[in-house]
Amino acid sequence: MKSTNLYKKRLLLFSGKGGVGKTTVSSAFALSCARRGEKTLLIELNVHDKVSSMFGAGRVGTEITEVEDNLWAVNITPEAALEEYAVMMLKVRIVYKAVFENRIMKSFLRAIPGLNELVMLGKAYYHVVEKENGKHVWDKIVVDAPATGHGLFLLKIPMVITSILSSGHMFEEAERIIEVLRDPEITALNLVTLAEEMPVNETIMLHNQTRDELKIPMGAVIANGVYEPLFSESEHEILNAAAKHVKEPSVLAMIDAANFRVMRTRLQAGYLKEIDREIPLPRHTLPFVFTPRMDFQSLLTLAEKLESEIEGGQS
Amino acid sequence: MNAQSKLAELVASKRVVVCVGSGGVGKTTTSAVIALHAAMQGRRVLVLTIDPAKRLANSLGIDALSNDVTRIPIEKFRDIGLEPKGELWAMMLDMKESFDHVVRRYAPAKERKAILENRIYQYFSTSLAGTQEYAAAERLYELYEEGNFDLIVLDTPPTTHALDFLEAPKRLEDAVDNKALYWLFKPGMLAGRTGLGVFSTGTAYVFKTLSKFTGAELLEEFSTFLKNFAVLFEGLKERSRRVRKLLTGPESTFVVVTAPEASSLEEALYFHKKLGDEEVQVGGFVINRVRTAWVDAEDARMPAVSVVHHLAESGHAVDHLSPEDLRDLAGKLLKNAQESAVLAEVDNNSIEVLRRAISRNTPIQRVPFFSTDIHSLRGLNLVRTSLFAEHTRTP
Repeated sequence: MKSTNLYKKRLLLFSGKGGVGKTTVSSAFALSCARRGEKTLLIELNVHDKVSSMFGAGRVGTEITEVEDNLWAVNITPEAALEEYAVMMLKVRIVYKAVFENRIMKSFLRAIPGLNELVMLGKAYYHVVEKENGKHVWDKIVVDAPATGHGLFLLKIPMVITSILSSGHMFEEAERIIEVLRDPEITALNLVTLAEEMPVNETIMLHNQTRDELKIPMGAVIANGVYEPLFSESEHEILNAAAKHVKEPSVLAMIDAANFRVMRTRLQAGYLKEIDREIPLPRHTLPFVFTPRMDFQSLLTLAEKLESEIEGGQS
Repeated sequence: MNAQSKLAELVASKRVVVCVGSGGVGKTTTSAVIALHAAMQGRRVLVLTIDPAKRLANSLGIDALSNDVTRIPIEKFRDIGLEPKGELWAMMLDMKESFDHVVRRYAPAKERKAILENRIYQYFSTSLAGTQEYAAAERLYELYEEGNFDLIVLDTPPTTHALDFLEAPKRLEDAVDNKALYWLFKPGMLAGRTGLGVFSTGTAYVFKTLSKFTGAELLEEFSTFLKNFAVLFEGLKERSRRVRKLLTGPESTFVVVTAPEASSLEEALYFHKKLGDEEVQVGGFVINRVRTAWVDAEDARMPAVSVVHHLAESGHAVDHLSPEDLRDLAGKLLKNAQESAVLAEVDNNSIEVLRRAISRNTPIQRVPFFSTDIHSLRGLNLVRTSLFAEHTRTP
């Protein structure tokens, strides 16, 4: 198995099925980078901002905002990215306004296939290569990519554009993006999953499609929300034997709860095995966090755990 | 009437049930469970999914679903001791295929070929503003019109933009049916063959700048596509009016599916509001994976010595454990009970927020987080007993 230390890359993408905790995992990873002293940019793509509440920061908008020491976040929307991109290309904002804020043009731009996705990726790309005094501005760019279906579509856009077109700015931009996306020295796409049937199936599919179609280098599978074993097998047996004789209802209910935990833990162990069997990538595991809401303290715990998993995986 | 009865009544009386919700909340499972229940009760029902991940086939215990309706064989039910009075059919929409179908249906022969062969169309027919949702709505309507099913349950694509599904026809129209655009990007003009004179200098300038941006090729290809596509529009418009009428009419109901986490519930509420704005009937909420409080919070704080004492009552089951091991085990039992009580309380509180935000008449039905995954017909039936418990007992 090829081992990939995620900290050696600069562009880290996180995708996976909806509801598996992509945002939490991307945020935890970004936080771990920041704590290692790397200047990190965490990118959300056109979503209802979820990052800010975890960091206890103000709403993250389309302007890059500092949310922690060494850690900045931004929510890229197609509108803002297009404006930024066009202004950069046309040099003058007034020309942008004349061209792109024209009513007809606006409705046309909304409909142009692939343009939204391309400019969003283009902005992420721009930050990857952005330099100041000959040095990269960002040590790490972490992208909370959309869920499986949309994520694949988004990442496929530059490839589609280069196959339809043969010249023009969009074509050139797409070519530059592909080069970075496919560079194993720079990029790693990470697959976030839960140790459950549907997410694991979808992750296997995502892995195969990334390998065969996108050809974007992959980093690791991150199994999120995994229960830490609490009861040993023998303790579980003892509890079930005891359940036949215990009279106190609340203690019986505790044994039910223990059974539930054991069943779920076993189920997860089976799916972790399946991940290891089907996906030839290092697997990092994050524990289920028993907290009412993902707050900064819990996120920090996850960040530390993730770091030790990544570093530990190198031995 | 309780939530279960209200849901059961909807499933028994409606012709169309649309399940909406964000990704990962169990929408496909819920759609399948609703369809299963209707089939058990004697209806001929079709569950229609847009899910590309083949989950529905998975859970129905068949290898794959095609773009055609497939009946779930009766043996699959008998294998697990069920005897449906009706029929359960399933279908997975192939998005590309479905949209091609729309083109074939509405485009005159000449444009049909040009559209289907256009490269923009080929790459983007499934992603162009609202096409997925449109194709789904279109197919739903077609199946409804054919009248082969008593009930169609539709599993919609996960979406962050609330009701793309209802808005799709309009978005598609906005994107394509724009006469100004059509004239602006008339093919031929791109190559400079026809007189730019008809356009104002402003427009010509706008166009020039834009083509610098996208490359003239893309504009040309796209404008050809728009031109050909425009011929579909009269048909599509008329059709989408009818689809909308069906979905907002008395024969249809929407079920909002959600997880109990606060962020999912916030999105569910947003869906609910948008549906209300569209004058769509919300038949209820289904909250999946609600965590169980095995032990109430007070009992979970019971002193460890009492737990030890109660465990010791079981005699020989624990008498080979040392006092330390027994205390240790009691401690774990308490820790686990406390953790599950916390999670259950979190879920309860968020559901309470939802409850207060919606009308009393809208049922909220909880489905517990089970100790096994739901990915088989047996699993679907387990969920069914909690969604429709009173109505699943055999008389």
